[in-house]
Amino acid sequence: MDLTLVLQGVVSGLLFGGVYSLMAVGLTLIFGVMRVVNFAHGDMMVWGMYLAYVLATRAGIDPYASFLVCAAALFALGFVVQRGLVDRIVDAPHEMQILLMLGVALVLENVALVAFGPEPTRVRSPLASATLWLGPVFVDVARLVTFLVAVALTTALWAFLFRTDLGRTIRAAADNTYGALVVGTDVRRVYAVAFGVGAACVGAAGALVSPILPFQPPTGLSLSVASFNIVIIGGMGSLLGAFVGGLLVSLAESLGAVFLKPSLKELFSFSLLIVILLIRPAGLFGRRSA
Amino acid sequence: MTHRLTRRTFLETTAGGAAVLGFPLPLRAQPKTFKIGAIHPVTGALAEPGQACRLGAKMAVDAINAAGGVKGKGGIKLELLLGDTQTKPENGRVEAERVVTRGAQMLLGSFDSGSTNAMVSVAQQRRVPFLIDIAAADPITANVAQSVKAGQQKVQYVYRNFPTGSSFGRKAVQYFIEIFKEANVSPKRVVLMYCNDLFGQNQAHGFQAAHKTANPSWDIVEVIPWPEPPTDLSTEVSKAKAAKPDIIAPITRPASALLLFPEIRKQRIEMMGIVGPGSPGIYESGQIVQLKEDLEYVLTSVPWANFKNPKTATAAEEFRRRSGGKTFDTNSGYSYDAVFVIADILERATALDDPDAIVDAMKKTNYSSGLMQYGGPVAFNELGDNANAIPTMIQILSQKPVAVWPKEAALQKFVFPRPRA
Repeated sequence: MDLTLVLQGVVSGLLFGGVYSLMAVGLTLIFGVMRVVNFAHGDMMVWGMYLAYVLATRAGIDPYASFLVCAAALFALGFVVQRGLVDRIVDAPHEMQILLMLGVALVLENVALVAFGPEPTRVRSPLASATLWLGPVFVDVARLVTFLVAVALTTALWAFLFRTDLGRTIRAAADNTYGALVVGTDVRRVYAVAFGVGAACVGAAGALVSPILPFQPPTGLSLSVASFNIVIIGGMGSLLGAFVGGLLVSLAESLGAVFLKPSLKELFSFSLLIVILLIRPAGLFGRRSA
Repeated sequence: MTHRLTRRTFLETTAGGAAVLGFPLPLRAQPKTFKIGAIHPVTGALAEPGQACRLGAKMAVDAINAAGGVKGKGGIKLELLLGDTQTKPENGRVEAERVVTRGAQMLLGSFDSGSTNAMVSVAQQRRVPFLIDIAAADPITANVAQSVKAGQQKVQYVYRNFPTGSSFGRKAVQYFIEIFKEANVSPKRVVLMYCNDLFGQNQAHGFQAAHKTANPSWDIVEVIPWPEPPTDLSTEVSKAKAAKPDIIAPITRPASALLLFPEIRKQRIEMMGIVGPGSPGIYESGQIVQLKEDLEYVLTSVPWANFKNPKTATAAEEFRRRSGGKTFDTNSGYSYDAVFVIADILERATALDDPDAIVDAMKKTNYSSGLMQYGGPVAFNELGDNANAIPTMIQILSQKPVAVWPKEAALQKFVFPRPRA
């Protein structure tokens, strides 16, 4: 086996893992706070991508600058979806939540199809074609930047949840909704903010990957599935778990492509899921529910 | 002789009259139409080519109807019952069932081999003649032909006017050899990369089998399949680079092409060029706009329109207008031709309400007015395939797809090996 190829696989896998991590962080936050699985997660990411696309093509703003705008827009979308729809079924059985979120996913996908057409698209950015060479190993600058921003955003999210009053309130509502209500917390507002922040994360992720990952309206489903896989590996509701899970899954896929046929690389990531579920049913960093 | 009005005759007469008055439409002379169930993936991942197919078929129906319909059958007009597989193979069957229940007398479709294969069982079970406009996987027709031969089924209702995976492979290897010879170069190492779905596998196997048979001076040194749609192809391209290729032969889908070609450029692979054995993702106008210089000089062997035919230019102009500026290509072109082939079959069929009569006419097809580049008239062999449906080698030159090989189809000379950046 060519050592350069293995090294290249590790570098590419880790860097692309940043993208996966950012995708999964938003999903795990929403689940951790509300116990609602957001099946529209991938479609929200696709909307982040399309917003970046519109900003790039209409206003000439590079996605590496516009990702904060996309995050803000997706925050608003998440907030509205939570207040208008999810809030009504927070206490409903899981199957009703799943149906509702699948409905939201269908609406988002098909509105994108009507608005942007079916063609796969990619946002052009000068950064996306830049490469660095470390000896024989090449580093994709766009992925490096995405990786660094993903680390920064995850750290910022952690600081928000653990170092601010609103963050503490969100965690309190997640830990014990009844207790939070007793001390006068506006839990409905907290839920809407948490859903908005989760959507903002995936909106930022969408904008950041829009120059490296081609997208079209139906892309959302595969992104949702990848996010679920990562979140389950990392532990449902765990921020660190989602981040590490993203890196692990990407690394597993990349090395799977090096050592096996690339068409079998997803076998690696889903095998990882099964192994981790067998050894740690709550995921790497998940807590067992009472 | 007197007629006595009995209770029975009164009831018969009034009931008959009421039926005529109450349900007038079916009994009056209606504008006659022959219904064709046209099923394509107009939403989902393959929506772009699927929509092009649908528009191609609609244009052909409009043209035939405007010219007086199927003249040999009292000017009966064609009507499309549209179906959408949503790019899910299983929906091929669901949609075919739906349109047949609504009265489709023939089926047309459906771009991807998976859903086309799912439509076959409906065509065979419900005796609805099915003309495949696009779908390359060999077993789609071969399996039916085999079961008819073995006596398990009486009649083959499934026919195809599109190159099969194995014929794609044979032609691609032939064109590779001819182009290398014409360019006076002798590449040795070819890396085959393909999307690992039914279409990609079939194309790749066809290419490998044809390579083995032809035994040319170049080898396929590495075969790299990827799961479709991919999220990342950097490791796959690194693997291709490690194989030190002279040629990369990609079999893509539109989404994977958007990942693959920039990755090949970024990893700076030194080679003579990219020559595809045949796949979508390389020539569509949307893809060229997206990939720009990454597609320049890329060659691929695809079914292509014969732009030396003036009628093709007219159809291409209409397609450009009705699609908002898109190119008349493989997808729109083959669906367009398929509807004209159906009209030709209907002209010759002894009866339109008998599926077996339509099949008899299908078997005797000898149609030579198609707009695509054929190796001869459209005619169906013992498997139900048109052996004259052949690909053309095209190349992206100055950001436009141009036919470059074989010589009789070429509009321009190819550029190979590609100039060094």
